[in-house]
Amino acid sequence: MTKQLRKKHLQVWSLLAITLPVMILAGVLGVKNPVVTGSLFQPAASTALPLITHSVEKGKYTVHLRSSADRSQTQLEWINKASVTNPSALIYQRDGNNKEIDGNEIIGRIESKGIYRFFLKNDSARSNHFFLYDIIHRQIIDSINF
Amino acid sequence: MGTSYQAVGWNRQKKYYDWVLFGFCLLYLGIFIVLTTVFNAQYSFETLLIRASSTLAVLLLHVILAIGPLSRINPAFLPLLYNRRHLGVTMFMLAAVHGIFSILQFHGLGTVNPLVSLFTSNVNYNSVSAFPFQALGFLALVIFFLMAITSHDFWLRNLSPKFWKTLHMFVYLAYFLIVMHVMLGIIQYETNPVLVGMVAVGTCTLISLHLLAGKKEVKKDQVKFRPAEEGFVSVCDVSDIEESRAKIFCIGQERIAVYRQGNLLYAIHNVCKHQGGPLGEGRIIDGCITCPWHGYQYLPANGQSPPPFKEKVNTYEVKLEGNRVWLNPRPFSEGTPQKGANIT
Repeated sequence: MTKQLRKKHLQVWSLLAITLPVMILAGVLGVKNPVVTGSLFQPAASTALPLITHSVEKGKYTVHLRSSADRSQTQLEWINKASVTNPSALIYQRDGNNKEIDGNEIIGRIESKGIYRFFLKNDSARSNHFFLYDIIHRQIIDSINF
Repeated sequence: MGTSYQAVGWNRQKKYYDWVLFGFCLLYLGIFIVLTTVFNAQYSFETLLIRASSTLAVLLLHVILAIGPLSRINPAFLPLLYNRRHLGVTMFMLAAVHGIFSILQFHGLGTVNPLVSLFTSNVNYNSVSAFPFQALGFLALVIFFLMAITSHDFWLRNLSPKFWKTLHMFVYLAYFLIVMHVMLGIIQYETNPVLVGMVAVGTCTLISLHLLAGKKEVKKDQVKFRPAEEGFVSVCDVSDIEESRAKIFCIGQERIAVYRQGNLLYAIHNVCKHQGGPLGEGRIIDGCITCPWHGYQYLPANGQSPPPFKEKVNTYEVKLEGNRVWLNPRPFSEGTPQKGANIT
């Protein structure tokens, strides 16, 4: 390589050394709604709570709201009959009257065929209204209101 | 080489390099798929493939970009440089698998053209946190595609080395796009901070290596040589140059490689005619100076590629006074024979 080309390489990497950290930091700080820590998928061992309190039947999935016998725990059970056609689908629980996705609680993620169970917080402010949201296309795919 | 657009034949080293690369890719994909199946059984096969190919492509991209500075910091890494373009093409193919499956999975099932959907389904282009990171990956893939299809010597010859080099400098833009694609994707969509940490460590390592190697080169280029009689400058002691190896000196704007072959010293221009590789970082194999990048060869005594090849580089006059090596930085025409300096 020529001296000029070496110099150009060094200039490019000096520029990257500044721009990459700045852009990454801006991205990290800019996320308004940091996602929950831990896995969005529930552990496979999650067992179903005994009572089904509400049910919704859709073409590609069935959704149950389950609770424990003493009603102290609530669980969302999502049964996918086939892989979702929106693979980037997240379930949100609507928080009060909040109609925007930002600010609502992320419950979990669904993808392939199977049963997904997510424990819900016992919070009176939260409704039994759930959104299925495509994070790639930034659009609500479905809305489930028990 | 030049006459048939084939750089070098499939020699033993190249075959070995490619088999190791192939084996590593298979091993990585196998381990990734098995571990994900065990620990994240909910992922569909498409998601598994998208993730396995993308993580391997990002890993290979970091290795590719690290080989250059590592070789300048420590010559022990030079063998990795030899077949780097196969590494690059492999990385592109993995990135293409990731890209094609991602487009099909995320955009192929709607009523809109998948490519249109890629750029228009999320239009938060004015937001860093919600930026459509997939578009960044697609643009990087286009750059890798152009680099991969022009990596053959046919295109190098027809596009000219200068144009080709300019095109390949876009790898740095592609790297920027890839890091942002991965980081924004992770930030927006993932929960595991380990992934952010891994990409950050990779990026920091790469930047540090390049800055370190770059500064080393600048230091080398800034050495002031004492002017002497008849245009010769004193460059080093003869013992500084290993047998069949060279030392590179930057005098004025030009880099010159002084090679030692047996009891003789020769000097040639440091820039390979093929892709501008650093001839002084190579070594003499079968009596020829061999470029570390792609194996182009030149005879030390006249800077000419052995017949039937026609590449030629400038040669320079070297002399010895005691143990001191003197070099005349005034170039002779490409391919001009030199008698060399005799080490007595």
